[in-house]
Amino acid sequence: MPDRGDPGPGDGALGRPAEPTDAQDTSGGPGRVLVALYAVFALAAGARAAVQIALDFAEAPLAYVLSAVASVVYLVAAIGFARGGRAGRRAAVVACSVELVGVLTVGVLSLADPAAFPDATVWSGFGQGYGFIPLALPVLGLLWLRHRSATLDEGQGPAPG
Amino acid sequence: MSTTLVAVVTVLALVVAALGITSTLLRRRTGLVHLVAAGLLEAALVVQAVLAVVQLVGGTRPPETSTFVAYLLSVLLIPVAGALWSRTEPTRWAGTVLAVAGLVVAVMIWRCLQLWEATGA
Repeated sequence: MPDRGDPGPGDGALGRPAEPTDAQDTSGGPGRVLVALYAVFALAAGARAAVQIALDFAEAPLAYVLSAVASVVYLVAAIGFARGGRAGRRAAVVACSVELVGVLTVGVLSLADPAAFPDATVWSGFGQGYGFIPLALPVLGLLWLRHRSATLDEGQGPAPG
Repeated sequence: MSTTLVAVVTVLALVVAALGITSTLLRRRTGLVHLVAAGLLEAALVVQAVLAVVQLVGGTRPPETSTFVAYLLSVLLIPVAGALWSRTEPTRWAGTVLAVAGLVVAVMIWRCLQLWEATGA
């Protein structure tokens, strides 16, 4: 960590000048925004699924199970981004890919066959109930992972073993 | 639930979001202004939660009480988590993390009101 000396005049209120993003793993910089979003979505989808499965599972079992699956995928992505490293990035790549396939598949199905989805999930209509963030998240996540992997691998030299 | 308080919370949440985005654009971390705004937001949320709990105890029951209570209590954690987390982020993205928290609160408090107002329906 850099020194935490007194902020210069006018620096304290709006925050001290930021450090550059470069020397970080997937959890730093824009990655932290992704972790925050993924954590919120894991909680939102998870809590929603828990309530629905507990109270009226029979009403729309497919939709509720999907919400539960989505929340697990979000959680894996959040943890993957937060932990970073090779394993973390790999977990995040898998989670983001599953998520992208999920949101596209469920998006198409929910429009083509609304009867199968009497109650909405996070992925219904490509996530329109959640401002299309569920559609944007995996794309941003994969772009960020690609960007990070490229810069990190460059700096690491040949992989051991 | 008080509609006035929902409006106050919304404005404060949007102020927090705007401040966060500002510090990202200025390539700064978050500072005292962000903490104060997040603190005010949290205070408004606590007042709202206490008010709603008093009304719940008094017998008002939204149809989806458990969902409502879950929203009401979890929204209290968001500004705290956002503020703590942005404080430990040394890059300019600290503000964006706080902005996300602000926007999440704005959405959640309206969802709360929606659930609450379904009472009479």
